[in-house]
Amino acid sequence: MLMQTELVWLLGAVAKRDEAAFERLYEATRAKLYGVLLRILGRPALAEEVMQETYLKVWTMADQFDPAIASPITWMVAMARNRAIDIVRKRGDLSIEDEPEALEVASEAPPPLARREMTEELKRLLSCLGKLDPEKQRIVLLAYYSGWSRDQLAQKLDIPVNTIKTWLRRSLLEIRECMGN
Amino acid sequence: MYDDDRDALAAEYVLGTLSPDERDQAEAMLAIDPGFAEIVRVWERRLGELNVMVEAVEPPPDVWDKIRTEIGGDAPRSAIEPESSLPVEPAPQTAPDAAAEETPDMTPEVKSEPDLSSAPMLTLDDLAAPQDLHEPQDLDGPQHLDEPQDLDGPQDLDESSPVAALASSLLPPDGEPASQIPAAPDAAVSVTPRAKVERSADIVYLARDARRWRGYTAAIGAIAALLAIYIGIEQFAPALNPLGRMSQPVVASRTQPPGSRLVAVLQQEPTAPAFLLTVDPQNRTLTVRTVTASAGADRNYELWLISSKYTSPRSLGLVGGEQFTTRPIPADFDAETLRTASYAVSLEPAGGSPKGVPTGPILFTGKMVESLPGSPS
Repeated sequence: MLMQTELVWLLGAVAKRDEAAFERLYEATRAKLYGVLLRILGRPALAEEVMQETYLKVWTMADQFDPAIASPITWMVAMARNRAIDIVRKRGDLSIEDEPEALEVASEAPPPLARREMTEELKRLLSCLGKLDPEKQRIVLLAYYSGWSRDQLAQKLDIPVNTIKTWLRRSLLEIRECMGN
Repeated sequence: MYDDDRDALAAEYVLGTLSPDERDQAEAMLAIDPGFAEIVRVWERRLGELNVMVEAVEPPPDVWDKIRTEIGGDAPRSAIEPESSLPVEPAPQTAPDAAAEETPDMTPEVKSEPDLSSAPMLTLDDLAAPQDLHEPQDLDGPQHLDEPQDLDGPQDLDESSPVAALASSLLPPDGEPASQIPAAPDAAVSVTPRAKVERSADIVYLARDARRWRGYTAAIGAIAALLAIYIGIEQFAPALNPLGRMSQPVVASRTQPPGSRLVAVLQQEPTAPAFLLTVDPQNRTLTVRTVTASAGADRNYELWLISSKYTSPRSLGLVGGEQFTTRPIPADFDAETLRTASYAVSLEPAGGSPKGVPTGPILFTGKMVESLPGSPS
């Protein structure tokens, strides 16, 4: 199992154009990034494209990674998510009916959460999320995991979009207050 | 209020819930405002931990082949540090085309192996010893690094966190995908990476341009406040110019995304944008996002267009009362004027200037600067 320390070390080597380190970094992170992308983009072909883009960006930007302000995996996931969100937003929000049918991935049951890694930061985030109203928890989590826009959140949860907008803003600021820096 | 607005914009940018317009504006700010970029990084860290609960999915093996091929060109082996002493598993590859065959764990059956990717990336140990992060030479080998973590500790999400349970319930393995992809994935796939490259190139160029403009304006001293300009994103689309009077040559074959628009950041200091002005030539709308504090109860900010075509500044209306204001562009401003004009914000009495020209101090100015026609595509 790769620890954060090693991922940081690998990124440092990647910054020096070490291809072997890059391959190792890819092996250690690919399934997480692909899982994140697939959930947002829905289509494997598109998720694969963004995988390539993201890792090429990692390759060229590894020297800008700063372990003091980010962990390798959150840095890389943020990059991948950001690109995925760009793609789904720029294309406009389609109605739910236009979405492709069920995805033939991730068909295995996820391991129970209890077995998952839980960092101090995640604990803190979850406890802060837990202080929000359940509906607000849902919109934040759905936005993060599914990449839904405000309009989609409104449509799927049957909540006026202005309410979604207000809730998002308020919830995020509450999370900030709760988490501190 | 200023901090809250910036924070909320950064947070929603990271979360992904901004509209395309707002994303463009956030990206414009990212390019010129280090303070905002820092806030975005903080939000990426805050929210990023949620990725832990996303199920890892193995990508097809050819993804790596393609990545490998792409980096092959700009990564000659000679550039690799000789002292690099990775905890090597696969031997360093020398030929990109041989790499695919030599990476047995890239096969689809990889799921049956211990999956590194779904393993913990972050550990409590790491967080407790951040100094290790800077001292890779202290790592004494793969056996140290690969030491399995004790996952049987007290931190079970199931019991301790109802939010985690909610998150889990929102992440069903075969649940509805959050997709909004239209039914032409192939076209999209081939277009989007290139568009991103163009866009990055523009931003690099424009950031440089912003610095040039800043110096220029300070030199002529036309306006007291520091001018900083950023024109965002794609070029002004000549085909969308209703009057067809674009003077700038534009490479005709370049694909213009339908959402082409101009963005100007109106600010006094590089680290403190006050307003983000977006001009959408296609729909002839201008949008102003307030990023700083309000003008106060008895005052209003008023937006002006300053062009050599007009003898005095022309009002574009009051701004700043709402966090986000969109209104049509008056018909008498053609695209060329919009592109070349300066924009300024003055502080006026409530209701705006009574005289039709600025009466209060001009606090913020900015200018649209066109990106290079035919910039790298």
